[in-house]
Amino acid sequence: MSALQSPARGRAGGFADWIGAAAQRRRVVTEAFVDTFAAWGYEYLSTPLVEPLETVAAGVGGGLQAQLFRFMDADGSLLALVGERTVSVARVVSTQLQGVRTPLRLCYAGPVLFNRPPLGGRRREAMQAGCELIGHPGLSADAECIAVAAAALERAGVTGVQIDVGHADFVPSLLDSANLDAESRGRVADALRGRDLVAVEEALRGTEAGDAERELLLAFPTLRGGREILDTAGARISDPRPQRVLADLAELWDVLDRHGITASVHLDLGAVRDWDYYTGPTFELFSADLGFPLGAGGRYDRLLAAFGADAPATGFVLHVDRCCDALLRGSGQNGKVEALRLGYSAERAGEAPALAARLRQAGVAVALELEPTARRREEPVVEGMARLDDDGAVLWRYRGEEGSGVEALLAAHARGAL
Amino acid sequence: MSGGLRLALPGGALFEDACRLLSDAGVADIDASRFDRQLKIATPTATVVKVRPTDVPVYVEMGACDAGIVGKDILWESPRDCYELVDLHFGACRLVLGAPQGSPLAEGRFPQSLRAATKYPIAARRFFDSLGLAVELIKLHGSVELAPAMGLADCVVDITATGRTLIANHLVEVAEAGRSTARLISNQASLKTRSEAVNQLAAALRRTVTAGTATGSGP
Repeated sequence: MSALQSPARGRAGGFADWIGAAAQRRRVVTEAFVDTFAAWGYEYLSTPLVEPLETVAAGVGGGLQAQLFRFMDADGSLLALVGERTVSVARVVSTQLQGVRTPLRLCYAGPVLFNRPPLGGRRREAMQAGCELIGHPGLSADAECIAVAAAALERAGVTGVQIDVGHADFVPSLLDSANLDAESRGRVADALRGRDLVAVEEALRGTEAGDAERELLLAFPTLRGGREILDTAGARISDPRPQRVLADLAELWDVLDRHGITASVHLDLGAVRDWDYYTGPTFELFSADLGFPLGAGGRYDRLLAAFGADAPATGFVLHVDRCCDALLRGSGQNGKVEALRLGYSAERAGEAPALAARLRQAGVAVALELEPTARRREEPVVEGMARLDDDGAVLWRYRGEEGSGVEALLAAHARGAL
Repeated sequence: MSGGLRLALPGGALFEDACRLLSDAGVADIDASRFDRQLKIATPTATVVKVRPTDVPVYVEMGACDAGIVGKDILWESPRDCYELVDLHFGACRLVLGAPQGSPLAEGRFPQSLRAATKYPIAARRFFDSLGLAVELIKLHGSVELAPAMGLADCVVDITATGRTLIANHLVEVAEAGRSTARLISNQASLKTRSEAVNQLAAALRRTVTAGTATGSGP
């Protein structure tokens, strides 16, 4: 058996090692997200990777439960590795933060796991970071979540982000006002949930659905645009419930405008989301460089009630690994940090650690050479290196610049940091 | 991304009709024979790749292609997170339950226990569930019609376009379990980030199909 075939060297399918620039990028992106959340007043909390199966099940639908890693505790109760973290936050809020003044702003970052077949190209472990804003029923809370998510992506260097904002009650309210019998309604809803327009068309054929509702349901991928689509859609609907949704979205748009982010927002009336879970505005974040959403969120006013703490809530999750993929595809900087290698002559070895400390204090990442470098003044320093020579001179090449002296090096660092 | 949309076409029975449809609709002027020598052709309006039919949903779901053309029968068996936008009407075939001539099942009497051989276990399971039948499925990868003759299964659930293969193997159609035609599918993000191009593609194909200029007769 060759070394490569040895089971001890294997890695479970669907999982990845993160090394070098990729590992660095993943950490930097996660930190950029959490730093942004903190800057908006969201308190960080850390929850376990393992939860009771019934806790996890309250957050994910029936379909996703089959995709959890499940196992048995010593007492025979069933446990699961978390597939998302909102439900853990909800558990904490309903047990340990009862009676705390609302609104509560909480954030988290950590891995989630899915037990799905490993060869489909879909990873089984993902890093997620997100926010939950609990205790406020209004649209200003929904708008804040969208604004925080956009700010976090911007801080991580992900550019060209598009935000699609929809509402969990628009399609259901259309279905209810469309004059469909229960069976047809179920078939249309299932088809929409399955993102199958052909089946929507088939299910609507021969039903009593009103023309306006039928047209809107069939046009759903094209029901996107700026604030004007609310008027376009509103003109075709008479029922008060979908009208109320349109009014909510109009107000949400105005709040988003005050946050200054409507330039990257599309209203998407046909957004197909988990209607049983979400109860109000929903949103997804996309990059032109990636075939999956970078993040998603929305209002979920029913979840906390499942834990005995009836409170309105809204929030979102960002998929760190997908954001890293988007960065890698070239829409932004790659987040890699190169440490400056600091060499020194044998005679100056005693001063080198202090010099390294001084540079680090100024924010330069410094890797101190472990042995004195030979004194060869004629040998030029290479990019990413500084050298403390016999005579006390510090020669360096850093971020494409070249010079001598610590002050000049710090100045180059400050220029690069801007 | 320059060069328009990235489209995945299925090799095999649907391929020539798919190429013709794209040309007729003015989406991309491509001739099927050009793919004899290469698998990827870039036109000014679109980049088109030819992949195995079962791989079309993979390319589209993972975002390697913005959209693709694929038979509904493929989508039954590989539930992927894509949007299914347009029924393209060509490549029509049916999924049927076939039983040996003279067997009780062939006369419509369902026995207590039943074993069915199929290449389509997900669609077959859905069909039998809808009838309330607990059927043991045997997944095969080809020549499903042989299974009853060799005593491997009592019946088959298989795709047929003309019914000739069933007859040749002394099987009769007992019931229809589904209908398949070619579909246009789209990546979930492409529908949002390239929505204009994807919606134009869908509209152009829908127009062409409705006008009947794509007279694909299926396999």
